[in-house]
Amino acid sequence: MSPTKKDLPPYTDYTFDMFIKSAGKDHAEITQFNEWRRQVLGADMYTFQIPHLGAQRPEVSVQRVSGDRLDLISLSSYNYLGYSYHPEVLAAAKEALDLYGLGATGSPVLNGTFRIHEVLEDKLIEFFGMPGYGVSLFSSGYGANIGVVSAYAHKGDVVVLDRLSHASLVDGAILSQATVKLFKHNDAEHLDRVLSRLDHKNLRILVCTEGVYSADGDTGHVKDIVRVSKKYGATVLVDEAHSLLIAGENGRGVSEEQGVLDEVDMIIATFSKSFGGVGGCLFAREELTNYVNWYARSRMFSCALDPAVTGGLIKALELAGGPDGKVKRERIKANADYLRSLLQGEVDIGNSHSWIIPVIFGDEHLYIPLSDYLQREGVDASLMSFPAVPKNQSRIRLFVTSEHTKAQLERGAEVILKAAEHFGFLLEN
Amino acid sequence: MVNYDNAKDLLTWEFDFALSTYYEIETEAIEHLLPKQLNPIEVAPGIALMSLTALNFPPGALGHLPEFQELIFGLIVTPDLSRGVPKFAMYIVSLSSTNREHLEHCVQHYRLPVHGQFTGVSLQHDPHVVEYEDADGPILSMRNIHPNPAYGEGERYFQAFVMDNDRLYVADVVMKGSLFEHQQTGDAGKLWPHPFYNGVDVEAAEPVAFMQMLNEPGTMGKQLYPRPEKFR
Repeated sequence: MSPTKKDLPPYTDYTFDMFIKSAGKDHAEITQFNEWRRQVLGADMYTFQIPHLGAQRPEVSVQRVSGDRLDLISLSSYNYLGYSYHPEVLAAAKEALDLYGLGATGSPVLNGTFRIHEVLEDKLIEFFGMPGYGVSLFSSGYGANIGVVSAYAHKGDVVVLDRLSHASLVDGAILSQATVKLFKHNDAEHLDRVLSRLDHKNLRILVCTEGVYSADGDTGHVKDIVRVSKKYGATVLVDEAHSLLIAGENGRGVSEEQGVLDEVDMIIATFSKSFGGVGGCLFAREELTNYVNWYARSRMFSCALDPAVTGGLIKALELAGGPDGKVKRERIKANADYLRSLLQGEVDIGNSHSWIIPVIFGDEHLYIPLSDYLQREGVDASLMSFPAVPKNQSRIRLFVTSEHTKAQLERGAEVILKAAEHFGFLLEN
Repeated sequence: MVNYDNAKDLLTWEFDFALSTYYEIETEAIEHLLPKQLNPIEVAPGIALMSLTALNFPPGALGHLPEFQELIFGLIVTPDLSRGVPKFAMYIVSLSSTNREHLEHCVQHYRLPVHGQFTGVSLQHDPHVVEYEDADGPILSMRNIHPNPAYGEGERYFQAFVMDNDRLYVADVVMKGSLFEHQQTGDAGKLWPHPFYNGVDVEAAEPVAFMQMLNEPGTMGKQLYPRPEKFR
C-alpha cells in the first residue's frame, strides 16, 4: 500500500524555501536547517551530494552516508553524449595537463589565458560557422549567465525573463540592477504584452529564453520569442545549456533547429553538459564578446578555464562536429523516445520531446522517501520539488544519454514503475 | 510543530470554509506597509506576495456569536525561524468581518488592524467562491482555480505579525483540517480598488494568483490562535 502523508516522518514536511532566511540577527535558519539535515541523516535517508565512485557512465557506483555501496543505472547525469569519459577526450585533457599544468592560476583578462583557450574559441566559431562572431569563455555556465546579463544590462535597463528561467539568468538580472519583468513560460503572446507596456523606443531591453527547459524537458519557443523581441528592438539571449551539440542538424542548438541562429544576439553554452567538462561561454558578435571579456565580473574576477578541461572540450567539440556527433545525436533522441515509450500511459511524463523526461509524482512530501527508494532499487535520478516546480507537481527528472543501452533504459523504467506503484503515482487506466 | 504549553489565551476557532489566495504584486507597491523588522518574500526579483484569506465561522465558533465571515489581507514576509519553521509568515495589514462583536474581539485580543464591517458577503462552499463588499463598494470576488482538489488531513503552522501602537507582535498560529494547496494558474477573480487594501493599488498591480489554499467542503477545520506576543 502506498504511504499516506500521516505515515511520513516530520522531516518530509519541509521544503527548500522554508530555510532560506529568518527574521532577526541570530541566523536561526542555519540552526533549523542543520536540525532538519540531522534528522534526515539520522534516518539514513540523506540522498543529496552522494559521492559517485567513478565517471558519469550509464552505470555508476555510489556510497551512501551509512557506507552502503550501491550500483545504479544513472538517469541523472547531464553527460548527454558521454564525452566526460570518452578515451580521446581524456587523452586530449591529459596532454593539455602535461603542457599547461593543473590550473590557469589567473584571470583570463590578465595572465590566465593560454593558447589552448584561444584554440577552443576558434573551434567554437568554426563549429557555429558564423564569421564575425566571437567567444567569451567562463569557468562555469552559471558564471557565464550572471556575467553576461549583468555586463549587458544595467540600472535603468529592463531584463525580461521567462517565468521558468534558470537561477543563473535570474541572478544575473538581479546583479545587473535592471528592472526585471517576467513573461509566462514560452508564451510569445504574453511577451508581446509585456514588451508593449515598456517604453521600448527608449529603453534597452534584454529578453532571455532557453533552448530546452530542464524542469519539463520542453523546448523553448525561440523562433516566436525572437520575432516578438525584434518587433520591439529588444536583444535576445538564448541559453542553450541543455541543447547545444544535440538539437539542430549540426548540433548548434534549438536556435539552429528553429532556423533563427543568425537572429539570436547571444548564445550561452555550458560545457558541463553535452561537452562533458565544466565551464561556459558566450557566443555573439565579436564586438560584444570583446566587451564582455572585460566587463563580465564573473569572468574578470574568476580564474580562467582549467587547461586540462579545455583540452578535453576541444576534442569533444571536434567529435561532436563530425560523424561521431551525428551518430550520438541520433542515438540520444532514439533512446529518449524509447524510454518515453516504456513510461507513457503508466506515469505522467508531461509533454517532453527532448532527452529530459519528467515523471510527475506530485506530493512534495514524497521527495525524500522516493529519492531513497530509487537509489536502493538501483536508479540514480534527479528529483525536483516546490519551489523549483509548482506545488503537487514534484517530479523525477530522467536524463537520457546517447550511451545508454536498451537494457539499461528498460531496467530504469522498471524501477520507476515499481516506485510509482509503491508510492501511488501510477496512472489509473 | 508548535508547542502551545506556554501560549497565552489560546483560542480555537472552528471554520467550515477557508479560501486563501496568494497574489504576486510588485514589491515596491507594498513594501512601504511593512515595519522595519520585516522583509517581503520575493518569488522573483521585484515580485512579492500578498494574501487574501476568506473564512466562514459557523454559529458558536467564538462563544455565543452567530455565523459570520471574515477577510484578512496580509503580506508574506520572512519568518522568525527561532520560533519554529512555519509554512509561511504573514504581516496582517487589514481585516474585516460581518460581525461587530467579532471585530471588537480582534482588536482587544489579537491587536488586529480592523478595517470595518462588511455590508454584503456572498459565499459558496463548493466550488469555493466568495464576494465581499462594504459601504465603500466591492472589495473582491475570489474563487478556487483548481478543478479537482485532492484534500488531505494536515496542519499548517504560520506566523502572524501585527503592528499595534508602533510595536510589532507575533503569534504562532496553526490551521488544522482537510486542506489542499495548489499553484494551478488561471483566473482567481477580481480585486477592486478599495480602502480595505490600505493604499495598495490592486487594480493597477494586476495581481497574478501564485498559490491557493482551501478546505474540504462539508468538513470543519480548526484554527489555533494564541494572543500575540511582543516581537523583539
